Amino acid sequence: MALLRLAVPLLLLAALWEGAVALLHISPFYLPPLRQVLGSIYAFGPAYAQAFLVTLGEATVGFVAGALVGVVSAAAFHHARWLRDMLFPLFIASQTVPVIAFGAIVVLWFGNTLLAKAAIAFYLTFFPVTVNALAGVEAVDPRQVALLRSFGASRRDIWWKLLLPSALPRIFTALRLSAGLALAGAIVGEWFGASIGVGAMLLAALFNEQVVAMWAAILAAAAVGGTIFGVVALVEARLVFWRDEL
Amino acid sequence: MNAALARGLGGGVLLLVLWEAVVRLAQVPPWILPPPSGIVATTWLVRSALLDAGAMTLFEAVTGYGIGAALGLVLAMLLALATPVRKLVLPMVVVVNSVPVAAYAPLALLWFGTGALSKIVMVAFIVGFTVFLNALDGLLRVDPAAVALLRSFGAGPLGVLWRLRLPTALPAIMVGLRVSTVRSMIVAIVTEMLGSQKGLGWTIFEAVLQIDFLRVWAAILVASLISLGCFAAVSALERRVVFWR
Repeated sequence: MALLRLAVPLLLLAALWEGAVALLHISPFYLPPLRQVLGSIYAFGPAYAQAFLVTLGEATVGFVAGALVGVVSAAAFHHARWLRDMLFPLFIASQTVPVIAFGAIVVLWFGNTLLAKAAIAFYLTFFPVTVNALAGVEAVDPRQVALLRSFGASRRDIWWKLLLPSALPRIFTALRLSAGLALAGAIVGEWFGASIGVGAMLLAALFNEQVVAMWAAILAAAAVGGTIFGVVALVEARLVFWRDEL
Repeated sequence: MNAALARGLGGGVLLLVLWEAVVRLAQVPPWILPPPSGIVATTWLVRSALLDAGAMTLFEAVTGYGIGAALGLVLAMLLALATPVRKLVLPMVVVVNSVPVAAYAPLALLWFGTGALSKIVMVAFIVGFTVFLNALDGLLRVDPAAVALLRSFGAGPLGVLWRLRLPTALPAIMVGLRVSTVRSMIVAIVTEMLGSQKGLGWTIFEAVLQIDFLRVWAAILVASLISLGCFAAVSALERRVVFWR
């Protein structure tokens, strides 16, 4: 059923793409036929597979690190009011900094490694997770905390058995948003001198003015984004099994 | 001054002092991390060039923002009225949106050239998507009982949209508008870095090529100040419009 819900819009979009190109005589400069783009991916299969894996790795490392830091910061902010007052404004200010501008500097720091792209992906991911995790933890009814405490629950028990599970639905909302942001960070990070990856492919296609290759790279980016998003959705269905009752 | 504000300011000052101290004491070379004082000094030194570049980027961001916000809002209202079309279109929108906007930037450059137009299109694209998704979510999240009540008083779909759905959706729309401000600057800068002759993104790109990292930091500082200003302006507007919050 879930597969069907995913396949229908994809097939519709593919039909729309092919149909529009054939019927409206769109110049291939703007939109080449889908089968031509797919053919190009098929012809250079191993190269696209490698780019897919490299970018997926960069985005995933940054994404996981961002998610962990986001949840830990939320926990720290919840327990220490002064820490929150001191750091939260800085977190907000950090998000108005156009991180992409840092790309060059981050690559200078980490060299042209996986870590450089992961760092940019991390920078884009941690903030939405922090905000949502904090909102989720703060929304817990204080009476429930008081009840657990009256039964002798420790701080750690309260965190693992009440606060974190209660915040999970909101955390996953942020994670689904962050999946796309992490990918964006990885792609842009590759523009500063990387030779392998979806972002590097996009740039090469731009320099050579190859529209087919550009669309192929966009499809590859969609595949990476879809993979991360799909894994997040699967984990969410497992962990937040009560979601449909909300 | 309340305690939260004092602590917030304290945190900011502490960060700057720490940064300055670490750079000076550990003698970090400026190409790795320049001290804040050096960044401010460089910004002041090349202020006229940075102001020109900043004005260009701001122009692209604001123009694209206006177009994108208007389109996103109108589209959301149209789809809120037409349920069958929405059920067909929305999943496709989500699929298109799953590709990061940055991936479309090379296409925009190829189609619309390296002038301001390609940046405006890109900004309009991302702002439009963000506002559209937020607004549609808000427009659809109304109490069915309230809709039934308005209907019973003879309101048509347009009446329900104007009197109920739009006011209900205002907070969600304003959130979309606020989130979009920072994104519009980032997208304008990213597209400029890929290809342009003007603007902050171009300044950063050029400074990187010349290995002038103080100028990169100065451009980042100006870009952050502009986004912070836009963000504050939209937040102030939000408090005005959504006064009951």
